[in-house]
Amino acid sequence: MKRVSFFAFTVLFLLVVAMAFPAGQKEKAAGLPKEVTFAVWSGNAGEIDRFRVENAVEAAKVVQSALKAKGIEIAITVKPVSDPAGWADYKRKFSLAAEDGQAPYIVVSGHEDVAPWAQAGYIVPLADSVKAVQGLHPEFADVIDSLWNCTMWHGKVWAVPQDTEARPMFFSKTKLKALGWSDAQVAALPDKIKNGEFTLEDMIATCKQAVEKAVVQPGYGYWHRPLKGGDFVQYYFSYGGRIYDPATDKLVIVQKALEQWYSFQRRCVTSGITPEKYIGTAWNVWHDSVANDKVLFWNAGTWMWNDWAKNYAKGGEEQLWKNIGYALQPSGIKGKPGGTLSHPLVYMVTSEKASGDKVKDLIAKMTTKELNTRHALESTHLAILKSQQNYQPYAQSKFLSSVTYMLNNNYYQPNHAQYGPWFDAVFNGMVAAEQGEKSPADAVKEVVTKLKLDLGDALIVE
Amino acid sequence: MHASNSQKAAPGSSVEALARRKGSLAWFWFLLPSAFLAIVFFFLPVLITLVISLTNMTTATGLSGWTWLGTGNYRKILANPDTVKYLWATTRYVVFTLLFNVVMGLVISLITTHMPQRSGLLFRAIWLLPRITPPVVYILMWKIIAANLPYGILNQLIVKPLGLATMNWIPEAAFLFVVLVNGLVGASFGMIIFTSAIESIPKDIMISSLVDGASVLQRIRYIILPQLRWPLLFVTTYQTLSLLTSYEYILILTDGNFNTEVWALWAFHQALSNYWGNFQYGMGAALAAILVVIGVGMAVVYLRYFRFGELVQEPKIDQL
Repeated sequence: MKRVSFFAFTVLFLLVVAMAFPAGQKEKAAGLPKEVTFAVWSGNAGEIDRFRVENAVEAAKVVQSALKAKGIEIAITVKPVSDPAGWADYKRKFSLAAEDGQAPYIVVSGHEDVAPWAQAGYIVPLADSVKAVQGLHPEFADVIDSLWNCTMWHGKVWAVPQDTEARPMFFSKTKLKALGWSDAQVAALPDKIKNGEFTLEDMIATCKQAVEKAVVQPGYGYWHRPLKGGDFVQYYFSYGGRIYDPATDKLVIVQKALEQWYSFQRRCVTSGITPEKYIGTAWNVWHDSVANDKVLFWNAGTWMWNDWAKNYAKGGEEQLWKNIGYALQPSGIKGKPGGTLSHPLVYMVTSEKASGDKVKDLIAKMTTKELNTRHALESTHLAILKSQQNYQPYAQSKFLSSVTYMLNNNYYQPNHAQYGPWFDAVFNGMVAAEQGEKSPADAVKEVVTKLKLDLGDALIVE
Repeated sequence: MHASNSQKAAPGSSVEALARRKGSLAWFWFLLPSAFLAIVFFFLPVLITLVISLTNMTTATGLSGWTWLGTGNYRKILANPDTVKYLWATTRYVVFTLLFNVVMGLVISLITTHMPQRSGLLFRAIWLLPRITPPVVYILMWKIIAANLPYGILNQLIVKPLGLATMNWIPEAAFLFVVLVNGLVGASFGMIIFTSAIESIPKDIMISSLVDGASVLQRIRYIILPQLRWPLLFVTTYQTLSLLTSYEYILILTDGNFNTEVWALWAFHQALSNYWGNFQYGMGAALAAILVVIGVGMAVVYLRYFRFGELVQEPKIDQL
């Protein structure tokens, strides 16, 4: 009896003692003057996106030598982490790490994370105004002015833009010609879309024709994204919708635009140009089909161009140039200009303790035209600096220089902490309407009910 | 009693008393490890989940900036138009997968115990493969089987040769695939339990029934199945509760698309998976809390109405 109880007590005691120690050591604040270590994270990253964090390694050397010139001896080490996890998983990792005090000093994520992460205290503000941040470093003053809008929340600047992109409507030039379009007509399409002469209705009609004439297989007329993503709100905007009211800092839902958008998605299915159960198709199947000229119209992102050229198109980039054209997203209303969504990624800083100015120095040195262009070219993202557009390597890129005009007709998603729930409700409604589970009108009613439940006072219903 | 006992041969009585005391506390020490695990990994988390469900905790509030909501999350769930849809999807999923699990488990164990032992072992080992395959690998195989041309095995080997229209089968028959995917894993649980129950039936009874003129099917119906009553009920109970809370295969297979979003997956999506990074911890906790209540309720129903108390008393295998 005594032996048993002694043994049991020992085991219990050891267990309790073991549980008292926290798992792993927390990162110590970089208060020591001799060395500073920065972790830099980015997510949803393939091989071609690695420069988002690897640029920090180069920048660290520059900052280190600049400090040495001032007589400050300091060793700056950067730990770059390019995480292939999807957005949801990556953001979960970051949130939990931030709660545990293990967040990286610099984190790259979508600009929409500024609002919830700032509210939660996971990130720190960089300056009190755009003017103030532009005054900190010449590199920040070089950033295209309108991009700073994506870094603002409640009047302060919380991030530095890292890259931007556009989300064009791509089309197959070869298939349009097979339909009977002349070279001139094909070349004129981007301008017609820009001016609102070629609308979403015209696109449906063209795709229907292509299916009827067997230029494309049924269901291969128009392909949107196969999975959740910001692109879908472009069609809400195309019908005159808006998401955010800056005057009241509230989210908005425009019922008429929502219903017209849902109808458009449903009509794509009923016209036979988009498969009904399309959401959920795997990305690699999707990329393979669009890059190899199987689809007539598809909406995608500029960053996919290099991915297609390197990993999917059988004939490489040459094949893409031969077959593919691109334009803004057509509007749903005749005469309304086409537009496109941009989703800039931004650098955010998680700790004031992270040696304050040195972090901003590091980010500034990552925001040079040389380093940013290296990333832009490798992953086909667009210029964020005013000096970049005339910078030779960037200007020489045929694709990048030809899509940069789209930034004049772009819009962004809002920096609002509740944008996530807004988007989820609206997206799920779209899927229900597209797949015929509900009529567009019923889907809209349900979405508005859900939005009112989830957002309460933070919503304006128009 | 004690006094009279201790007045007998002294060493014998103190040993007897010691043995009694030893016997009476042994149960405590045996139960302690699992009780500890149950408290730390079930009761405490349930308590914490219930507390979180009464708050507005999200990414935006962080784990420290939340406020009390009271029953706010629960009222939102009741008012949500999707609640009934997810409840119905969960019910369908649990009922059909349970049927598949129990019936297939029974069928496999009956067949494999009626063949030479080595072949029986081989087939049971094959049926265990889905369970021991890592979920991601397992689902990847299913996706490749169901994919559209030129990737899909089903389409290449069966659908196209038959001249039928090829397509990606998972979106077309999502619910069927969900049941099959989970059922192929779940059937092995019943298979193991039923097989061991069948093999514990005394061999002389099995043989003598055949000698007495019963056919194999009659033996199954009148001798084997009655012996399986308790294992059947155990497997049904266990798997009902396990299916109620499982979602990982559905997550990887369809991520809840095509009407396959079950309650547990909804809770996961709300609390731990948001494309725009704003995780709704409080809401997810409320959904999970409701699931716990349903699970506990069902466990009580099963325990009472199927007289589970009797199961844990004496082994029933000896009685006919």
